[in-house]
Amino acid sequence: MRRSFEAVVVGAGPAGAAAALGLARSGVDVALLERGAFAGEKNMFGGLLHRMPALEAVFPDFWDRAPLERHVVRKSLCFLTGEAGFTVQFETGAFDRPPYNGYTVLRPVYDAWLAEEARRAGAACLTRCTVDDLILEGDAVRGVRVLRDGGEIRAPVVIAADGVLSLTALKAGLRQPRLDPDGMAVGVKALIDLPRPAIEDRFGLVRDQGASMEFVGCTAGVRGGGFLYTNRDSVSVGLVLHIGSLRDSGRTPYDLLNAFLEHPMMAKLLRGGRLLEYSAHVIPEGGYDAMPRLCGDGILVAGDAAGLCYATGLNLEGINLAVHSGLLAAETVAEARQSGDLSARALGRYREKLEGSFVLQDLKLFRRAPRMLHIDRLYGAYPEVICELMERVYRIDGSPKRRLGRLLAGTTREKVGLRALLADALTAWRSV
Amino acid sequence: MRRVNVEDIFDLTGFAVDQEPHIVLDPQICRSCDHRGCVTACPAGCYTWSEEDRQMGFVYDGCLECGTCYIVCDKGAFTRWRYPRGGFGVSYRMT
Ligand SMILES: Cc1cc2nc3c(=O)[nH]c(=O)nc-3n(C[C@H](O)[C@H](O)[C@H](O)COP(=O)(O)OP(=O)(O)OC[C@H]3O[C@@H](n4cnc5c(N)ncnc54)[C@H](O)[C@@H]3O)c2cc1C
Ligand code: SF4
Ligand code: SF4
Repeated sequence: MRRSFEAVVVGAGPAGAAAALGLARSGVDVALLERGAFAGEKNMFGGLLHRMPALEAVFPDFWDRAPLERHVVRKSLCFLTGEAGFTVQFETGAFDRPPYNGYTVLRPVYDAWLAEEARRAGAACLTRCTVDDLILEGDAVRGVRVLRDGGEIRAPVVIAADGVLSLTALKAGLRQPRLDPDGMAVGVKALIDLPRPAIEDRFGLVRDQGASMEFVGCTAGVRGGGFLYTNRDSVSVGLVLHIGSLRDSGRTPYDLLNAFLEHPMMAKLLRGGRLLEYSAHVIPEGGYDAMPRLCGDGILVAGDAAGLCYATGLNLEGINLAVHSGLLAAETVAEARQSGDLSARALGRYREKLEGSFVLQDLKLFRRAPRMLHIDRLYGAYPEVICELMERVYRIDGSPKRRLGRLLAGTTREKVGLRALLADALTAWRSV
Repeated sequence: MRRVNVEDIFDLTGFAVDQEPHIVLDPQICRSCDHRGCVTACPAGCYTWSEEDRQMGFVYDGCLECGTCYIVCDKGAFTRWRYPRGGFGVSYRMT
């Protein structure tokens, strides 16, 4: 194994692979280090890869080239209670033609592909390589130590793309030692085998069309929600649970997941399915205010490691931010090398680039979303209000009907109370 | 459909178990912990608390390397928390 490179990237997730790809394409001699036996082996997510114009600029034939499952044409949001469900659904032909708006993917396949593209562009991909420490000269990062034959790999600049816990950023002193359990969520997922025709019939899809569904009210009051994404021959179903709230609830993620899978509405969709794989991973949901420092002397942080991920309740965006930040980190390093200055000051251009892009602009826009997602009534009382209201609207039992407005006011008063409703509405309004 | 049963996690998910644990904790600290959030929050059920023996049990074999315990523990109980050596640990094939 070679011991020195012009740049080292830690982690071959979407951020790291994009960074290595960008560096290799600018002619930088870069090593991409991944602890898995292959890129993607350690990685899971819900399943929706949002459109990535920056990657489409690198690969104009992105949708023919990348291993994608289905392009998503239909998005729905479902409010669930014990036995009822109220769904809002959106579908458009515009999402059914290139440039597609988003795809479902499977990480062990997708991540491996992007890392392979980085290798083809000239990056040295070293797998089974766990980075355990940084080589420091004063405060400046000069390479990494790996858990393999006590190895050292030297480089004048390191990009930390090692995911949400980023032990690399920690060792560089760029993030706080404690990560806030209220700003982090854990996702658990069951990958379920379903024959293609069953997927197409049950979700109303043809060709490679896909559906994405988000659920609220399926977590027994724990902050979080559920998701379902259709792949080619399988569906990804899971829950995202805020860690602080999960801890306080005393519930386990797998019991909550089983209860979700057994909800009568879900059971119908998944009937006859076979459980293929179970997986779990933490998501950084603290948003803009929970970000670490983005650079130091000889080091930059990208993707989840930099907290570049956000949830609004309707969408969870992470991979697109990871890829974009990885490419901008690569661009910054390539430029800084030209001037021969890899100090924190020179690398500070990275933050400016991020500020100028959708990455930090969106993160800032949704800065208050974490506060909204801390309204506990979202996860129990409100789904109940909605489902109860709909039941009262539709139920025919011989008693006279009431006006919709009165019904709503009555149901809300019973379950929530006016004062709480106003306070929540205000918080929500300020967040979006 | 089969339920997700973490007792049988090796039937659900692939692992290449290392000889050496990647997470080590000081059970003394767990004894005086006021929440033991790791026990319920760990998605793989790696932590078990025995009230009788007042003893924390931890097995790293079926660890999904998700990071939840690293975040939920605010008592500094880990004397080691790192990822397994390269090539060891959880191995997702399809997810
Ligand atoms: C349940 C769940 C659902 C999600 N749903 C979505 C979604 O629908 N859409 C979306 O866009 N995003 C989603 N996300 C978020 C998305 O997965 C992340 O934002 C994205 O994966 C971040 O990419 P990354 O490259 O920064 O980090 P990661 O994907 O975590 O990659 C980090 C890489 O570094 C490697 N690594 C870590 N430490 C070391 C080390 N010490 N040495 C060597 N290698 C190391 C890891 O093995 C891994 O390959 C979801 C996340 C979860 C958990
Ligand atoms: S949360 Fe920490 S201190 Fe408490 S029981 Fe778990 S590992 Fe031990
Ligand atoms: S990393 Fe996740 S799976 Fe492993 S012990 Fe901690 S909580 Fe459990």
